[in-house]
Amino acid sequence: MSTDFNLKATQTLFWGLITAPEGVRPGLEEMVRRGEAGPSDLEALIAGDERLPAADRLDIYANMYFYRLFDCLREDYPRLFEACGPERFHNLITDYLLRHPSEHPSLRHLGARLPGFLDGHPLGRECPALADLARLEWARTDLFDAADSSPLTRQDLARLPQETAGSARFRLVPAVTVLRLAHDAARLWTEMKERAAAPMAGLAVPGGGDGPEIHSGTVWTAPESCRLHDEGPAVALPRLPRRDTAVRVWRRGFVVSHRAIDLEEMDGLDLLRDGEPLARIAQRLAAGRSAAQVTERFGRMFQGWIDDGLLANPILAA
Amino acid sequence: MPFDRPAQRPAFLGHGVGLRRDHFDRVLSGPTLIDWFEIISENFMVDGGKPLDVVTRVRERYPLVMHGVSLSIGSTDPIDERYLDALGRLAERLQPAWISDHLCWSSVGGHQAHDLLPLPYTEEVLAHVVSRVQRVQERLGRPIALENVSSYVSYRRSEMPEWEFLGEVARRSGCGILLDVNNIYVSARNHGFDPSLYVAGVPVEAVWQFHLAGHSDKGLYLLDTHDHPVADPVWELYAAAVRRFGAISTLVEWDDQIPAFDRLEQESERARVIHAAIMAEAPHAVVVA
Repeated sequence: MSTDFNLKATQTLFWGLITAPEGVRPGLEEMVRRGEAGPSDLEALIAGDERLPAADRLDIYANMYFYRLFDCLREDYPRLFEACGPERFHNLITDYLLRHPSEHPSLRHLGARLPGFLDGHPLGRECPALADLARLEWARTDLFDAADSSPLTRQDLARLPQETAGSARFRLVPAVTVLRLAHDAARLWTEMKERAAAPMAGLAVPGGGDGPEIHSGTVWTAPESCRLHDEGPAVALPRLPRRDTAVRVWRRGFVVSHRAIDLEEMDGLDLLRDGEPLARIAQRLAAGRSAAQVTERFGRMFQGWIDDGLLANPILAA
Repeated sequence: MPFDRPAQRPAFLGHGVGLRRDHFDRVLSGPTLIDWFEIISENFMVDGGKPLDVVTRVRERYPLVMHGVSLSIGSTDPIDERYLDALGRLAERLQPAWISDHLCWSSVGGHQAHDLLPLPYTEEVLAHVVSRVQRVQERLGRPIALENVSSYVSYRRSEMPEWEFLGEVARRSGCGILLDVNNIYVSARNHGFDPSLYVAGVPVEAVWQFHLAGHSDKGLYLLDTHDHPVADPVWELYAAAVRRFGAISTLVEWDDQIPAFDRLEQESERARVIHAAIMAEAPHAVVVA
């Protein structure tokens, strides 16, 4: 099938050239070195002229390719962009797109692998908290258009037969997830939001070096190697101590929220997701507590889930 | 259902604009000067959330057209069945007046460029595209419309001008044509052809819709940026297109540096005035369904 072969070869060469990170001409040289293209393939493919040679014409597509995807990821990861600074983020996204070019027709999925990619990237190794910040941002993005649902309300709950409450198996609505993180990314997210809300308090630390401590545990440092554009002050990477945390992220109506939770609540939500009845969740809280304490603790946790719209209608035991 | 004859042109919808997030609240808050809206299909191929809710409510008030950017009809990759499933589900929900995408390719080797990349215009590629259009139309159970894209490269292997290729795709597959007047102008400037030849070369009966948009002058070339008002030469070309094609549903796109909604309404009203003036000049041979 000559059509398929020729068109496929044309599209493969086109793709290889517009996704080359250094531009079309260096990209062609690299493809020639690897034996994937001949030195005259571009000129044989594209009609250029004195005003715009073939490589310059293809470079228009190359620039649009990168910046369209860059802008999408910047929109999905606003706090990560802010924490990295423009140059580091630019380099990170360049590396990411080389490793994980888009495979889905919708740009909505483009950033799904960025948190995991950051774990193994030099920037992520320099600042491990960035990957957790990215996990939190992606979870928020992911839930933005998760399936709608009608969560259980206190009124719905009051109508349930009391004798079946303990054996009822509640379900989580689709728009809720629990993150297990190695850093307190939720607090970092909040601090960045507060700093953004205060227009005079930029991210940059004047004079470089270790910045002021922001609450306990979060310190901003300004490495010498990366600056905002050419003349801007250095961008400080967040330096967070390692600390295992759990964050629940959920959407109620159209508003996405997140909150750090303790390990007991994380455990409870896991059990709920696994289809365990309420009585089993309450049992897990019993260690070292009186019956009254268990009731109080469980009641508070359960009401929080109801009030935040995390629960769907339960499956009642027959 | 076979689609091997030109489909009947859908009913004239009037003058529309692209529905963008910045204008969600304004569009739902009260009357507008807009007759219909066009959405980017992929932005709403999701499970839930606010955008899907908004577009569903907009659909209750206005005719809607679904305009895709990722069908990749000219790709050598297999047609993405999951994409077609999602597109079909959205169409089931929104009942659009029609579904459109672009005469281009945007994916190869399983990778997505998220761009509208031009095709070589050869007989072989024509047969390839026509067979895929027919496949998509059979899958969706309706004819689709394909739009001409702005381009910055042309292929030495091309055997015919773009308008001839586009017209043949429509004739052989039975699809409609979404004629983007700005794209004609941008490509004409970038490749040095006369845009009036393009307008004159497209089969009248196949055109379902016009697009109008702004572009940026980069000195050595024009870039299709959708971030400016429609340029004067494009308005002139639009007038020529209305003279040739008659009462064609017209849509203004503005996707970057998005202005207030009333500015977008002004742009759409300008199209309406031009359209009405030309339609009043003389009756057209085109019969509108």
